[in-house]
Amino acid sequence: MKNRLFFLLLAVTAGLLAWGTYQALYVAPPEATMGDAQRIFYYHVPAATAASLLFWVNFVASLWYLWKRSPVADAIAVAGAEVGVVFFSVVLISGPIWARYAWGTFWVWDARLTTSLILWLLYVSYLVLRKSSELGSTSVLAASLAVFAAMDMPIVYMSNRWFRTNHPQPMIGTPNLNHDMQTVLLWNMLAFCMFAILIAWFRFDLERTSQTINQMHIRKAAQGVSMAAIIPAIFLSAKPAMLLLAKKAMLFGSVLLVLLDNDADALAHEKLVQHHYMVAGYIAVWTIYIGYLLFLLNKLRKLHKEEAELRTVSS
Amino acid sequence: MSAGVVRLTAVNLRKDVRLEWRSRDVFNSMLFFALLVVVVFSYVFDASAEEARRMMGGLIWIAFLFSTTMALNQSWARELRNGVLDAYRVSPSPPEALFLGKTIGNFIFVLLLECLMAPLFVIFYNLRALGNVWLLLPIFLLGTWALVVNGTFFAAMSIRTRSRELMLPLLLLPISIPAVLMMVTATSAVLTGEGSPVPQIKFLAGYCVIFSTVCLLLFDTVLNAE
Repeated sequence: MKNRLFFLLLAVTAGLLAWGTYQALYVAPPEATMGDAQRIFYYHVPAATAASLLFWVNFVASLWYLWKRSPVADAIAVAGAEVGVVFFSVVLISGPIWARYAWGTFWVWDARLTTSLILWLLYVSYLVLRKSSELGSTSVLAASLAVFAAMDMPIVYMSNRWFRTNHPQPMIGTPNLNHDMQTVLLWNMLAFCMFAILIAWFRFDLERTSQTINQMHIRKAAQGVSMAAIIPAIFLSAKPAMLLLAKKAMLFGSVLLVLLDNDADALAHEKLVQHHYMVAGYIAVWTIYIGYLLFLLNKLRKLHKEEAELRTVSS
Repeated sequence: MSAGVVRLTAVNLRKDVRLEWRSRDVFNSMLFFALLVVVVFSYVFDASAEEARRMMGGLIWIAFLFSTTMALNQSWARELRNGVLDAYRVSPSPPEALFLGKTIGNFIFVLLLECLMAPLFVIFYNLRALGNVWLLLPIFLLGTWALVVNGTFFAAMSIRTRSRELMLPLLLLPISIPAVLMMVTATSAVLTGEGSPVPQIKFLAGYCVIFSTVCLLLFDTVLNAE
């Protein structure tokens, strides 16, 4: 039953993602000055929404854990934080690609950007703590840190009010956003929130499996066999692949630029540049998502193998 | 807070201060470290008085932030020897008393360090504040408390992890960024005389209240995390 629901959701999400991307690429009108480069926006904003949603999930689950000490709550908290960090990495990578075109620089220490970076750092430190603490106390310590992180966020936002910001203001429901663009944005928001929930669900299942395995290990340890450690941090294994792909994409883009530079007139050239930024943004975003999914699938495979081994040993 | 907690806090505080008074190992290394930071920075930046005034807010707090981190790690490591922390866990004394005693102790050490370092900053960087100097008092009191209260809490958390000393800055710095930002802007405002530091001071006060509460509420959980 649960599996059927999962696959139904998976199909719906895949459909929505395809529909949203199609809309973003072909249906949404091009922006007056930024052209294609602006289309990164349809991936950037939904990822931010999904990530904040997941961080809230992490906070609520952590409180629930501190109150009831339920392993289910702990698994939800891990899934929320980890998938949230992945979605937020998408925000932090797609944003600068757009900014390089729109502002001429990848990064400025402006209020919104600084705030986002701090948020990302907070949850990365949460994941680091989870990885480095002793097995028995991990959940309690991590849940306490999650409460701190959630308390810090409103403060970080307040502390940045004194600074002016370059980052565009929220636009949904205001006349600044073209009606067609808004529709496309909302489709993508729906698609990416579903995507985030789906991955988080998957990650939650994995965490439950690894909790079961830990229990089995503990039982095994009682028979004189040592326990195995869990969960390598996502970044250690995901990052090198990501960097390599990004480098390849950049190389490809620059070759194209040089090849096409000679005969294009100024306007066409500008359009091409905008298009390149868009392509680079989309490639970067999907590299992260797919890289993370592959990482999770690999982990699933390992866990299943481990579980099977343990079952044969104990039976 | 009951009278018992106050009395036990005082006992813990007295013990920490006495230990430190006799050994002085934490305080001396903290002082020397801060001194080194001052000297190294003066080489690196080679600033005129005018530039120094603008940078100084950040410089002072970076020196204190790093030396505080050093001291905080030691303050709990001391309790690990001979299983003192386990003894606390089984004793009926409220954990808040232990936390408060430790925090106030660290607060006093860092304040002392700041008092000793302040003249050095003035001498080495030829410093003269253009704003209202008295406002530095609440900024330093609140700023130090903000660093120390979170720092003591996260030091207690990080000794429970495998990497111990390494974990503290990783946990403490992201949480403290808003507070550090406020201390630095407020101190710079006083030194350069441009703008009022009062909103930042109010902000710091709010930060101290919120995080002291959260630390006190969660310390029991972290101390007994198994």
